[in-house]
Amino acid sequence: MDERRYDVVIVGSGAGGGTVAKELAPLCRQGMRVAVLEWGPKLRESEYTGREAEMAEKLYFDNGGFLTRDRAMTLAFARAYGGSTVVYTGTSLPLPEEVLARWGVPGLGHVDLRRRSEKYLGENNVHLLGEETINDNNRRFFEACRTLGYRVEQFPVNVKGCQGSGLCNLGCPNAAKQGTHRVQLPAAEAAGVEVVTNCKVERIGERDCLATVTNPPFGEPSHWPEGRYRIRARAIVVAAGAVNSPALLLRSQLPARLPALGRYFTAHPALILVGEHDRPISNFYGHPKSYYCDHFVESAKFLLETCMYFPFTTAKNLIGFGAEHARLMSRMDRMQMILVLAVDPALAENRIAVDAAGDPVVHYRFTDEVMDALVESQRVAARIFFAAGCTRVHAPAGTGFFIGANEADRLEELITREAFKLGKVSISSAHLMGGCRMGTDPATSVTDAWGQVHGVPWLFVADASLFPMCSEINPYVTIMALADRVAERVRTRLPGLPAA
Amino acid sequence: MAGRSNARVPPLSERQWAFLMRVAVRIVPAVADLDAAGRSRFVAIVSKALAERPRPIQHQFGLFLGVLRWAPFLRFGSPFDRLPPEDEDTVLRWFLDAPVAKLRSGFWALRALAFMGYYGQPEVWPSLRYTPSFRGNEMLHG
Repeated sequence: MDERRYDVVIVGSGAGGGTVAKELAPLCRQGMRVAVLEWGPKLRESEYTGREAEMAEKLYFDNGGFLTRDRAMTLAFARAYGGSTVVYTGTSLPLPEEVLARWGVPGLGHVDLRRRSEKYLGENNVHLLGEETINDNNRRFFEACRTLGYRVEQFPVNVKGCQGSGLCNLGCPNAAKQGTHRVQLPAAEAAGVEVVTNCKVERIGERDCLATVTNPPFGEPSHWPEGRYRIRARAIVVAAGAVNSPALLLRSQLPARLPALGRYFTAHPALILVGEHDRPISNFYGHPKSYYCDHFVESAKFLLETCMYFPFTTAKNLIGFGAEHARLMSRMDRMQMILVLAVDPALAENRIAVDAAGDPVVHYRFTDEVMDALVESQRVAARIFFAAGCTRVHAPAGTGFFIGANEADRLEELITREAFKLGKVSISSAHLMGGCRMGTDPATSVTDAWGQVHGVPWLFVADASLFPMCSEINPYVTIMALADRVAERVRTRLPGLPAA
Repeated sequence: MAGRSNARVPPLSERQWAFLMRVAVRIVPAVADLDAAGRSRFVAIVSKALAERPRPIQHQFGLFLGVLRWAPFLRFGSPFDRLPPEDEDTVLRWFLDAPVAKLRSGFWALRALAFMGYYGQPEVWPSLRYTPSFRGNEMLHG
């Protein structure tokens, strides 16, 4: 087994790991060694093809369909140079002050988090797209929300030279999205940080990691030869995401008892809803996600966003099969789409565990409140679709395949909780949070407010697993702001940590 | 990329494949119209997706195919693959809405694989009037 030594090792290169890498890069000028160990590949530019099945295989765990233990929900999270920042739509919102207040983490204040968030809004070129790039799918959602009196806002996005491919979730083929793969990681590498791709960290020991490098048949080969490694470090920062960070720590032998590890997982369970127009609209050209409606977050615990997905993802999210399903699928140019996301509670029983092989297993129970929110969100989405001019709406909790515009006044009876059955409906999540939550009490949290694992001074966490509850908005900017804090704490603590 | 040590296991027997293809035609009727190349792509996509799943999921999926094949015997006196198409659809609709969550999940997985095998082929996208472009903004403005 090859052995290597660093001052800091960062596991994962997404919004959290990429940010920590860039913030710690100045240490390299002082002669320190910093490495990022990333499970996924660094794709060549020519490999961003926009082909759904191909990109899902290259960039996502389980092709984007990682199943919860009861098979009721699929989780989409990436493995790549840049992690999930490669595959999100670039929507970038700072955490609302009232959500941070609900988090109630002593030592984590709004002013501090806002300042750090704004740093990344600038660094990653976050801005509002011009009106000329808004397609019908988005514009009609905005106008319908306004007509209905629902609060609706435009998403700021982190793009530079967006060509409107609409393929954000498959990795931007035009290199426009400014994720950590375009901004923080190249800056870190230029300053001397080593980024080792195709490197799976299996477990963490006393100031060391065991890892294996295996090159897949795509992407650039890893900087390290294939094989097994022991990597020693003075400090280790785990930023492998809300599924893999808790799983890695659970299969490691840590010198601390952490009863909350893996627990309080939240996911913003989501549904993709489809309305049909009687003629083609512009939907798959242009940026796919321009607006969100947070009108119902406080009252009914759900958020609505515009979206436009690809054929397989769309087909999977429609209920049913056969001729009826095929007819709707054959007219994708008439589809309007809305993504609804439930604001789910942080429950100790919703947790990441590991199986006998050490692989993550996600236990997730849908509460009645979340189920109610998902049903009610379909009624609201149907109202928006009809106000936007759709002639028919497909709702997963619908009593029939379609609801016609002439039935718009009967949504309560046509979209029902009884028809909304787990296992039948495609519920998915791309906002994975918790599992290593921040807090002060080691009985109910895993790290302090600066991401240091309780009782382990050399071990830190820097990703969405830190969230003590869900963020109620798209989480990436918050991850970066928290990672910025973690990097600051690592810099402060490093002089006091013994050599590896 | 193999995510787990138990990946790359041949997931289905020839008989199971034949059955899966028969059901896939009921789920996506256009599967029946695929040419040889299209069928090969379908099989390749589904095989890959199955092979990369953990072995317990592969095993459960194989079991579900068996349940789907033989469950109709109770009502129709024949296995699924000897039923007329309209009865096959009746059986599938029952599984879609089955009273037991595990049966619904099994059918969900089967549906998802059939959709992936067909709609995951870029070659069929024009027939869906889905024609993405890397320069989408140019298309947006005609």
